[in-house]
Amino acid sequence: MAKGTDQVVGLGLVALSLIIFTYYTAWVILLPFIDSQHVIHKYFLPRAYAIAIPLAAGLLLLLFVGIFITYVMLRNQKDTKKAQ
Amino acid sequence: MTKLAQWLWGLALLGSAWAALTLGALGLELPLSCREVLWPLPAYLLVSAGCYALGTVGYRVATFHDCEDAARELQSQIQEARADLTRRGLRF
Repeated sequence: MAKGTDQVVGLGLVALSLIIFTYYTAWVILLPFIDSQHVIHKYFLPRAYAIAIPLAAGLLLLLFVGIFITYVMLRNQKDTKKAQ
Repeated sequence: MTKLAQWLWGLALLGSAWAALTLGALGLELPLSCREVLWPLPAYLLVSAGCYALGTVGYRVATFHDCEDAARELQSQIQEARADLTRRGLRF
């Protein structure tokens, strides 16, 4: 693969991680100290989602990892059965 | 003590400190904004650790020192070795 696409993908990942980090930090750490009448609260979901969304994402990730492992194991089993 | 034991010990200490503070077991009257910051703290640390990991992977991918010449040379050497071995009778 050419280094061009690698760079784009890499920098994209860095940018994504920075965006997520800044938004989440503002949500969890900064928002409680800002007056509840301020307009910035409009851009953030209710606080309960700050736990629910990462938790759901984490469970989804575990699900995909489990599915991938199962798929690879079944494929290996099938290959060894065919070889026998 | 093994590394795993050290990590578990540290996590247990931090976890119990967080639990004691959120459940008010120490009898401290923290202001409401501090409590609001405190209770999602484990999730926050996990998410920021994940972001750090993602960012590091992306950065290392973007700044990888690719050696095109060495790669091509290696590929031609592999072809050479394959031809040589098939000539000597090894089947791939």
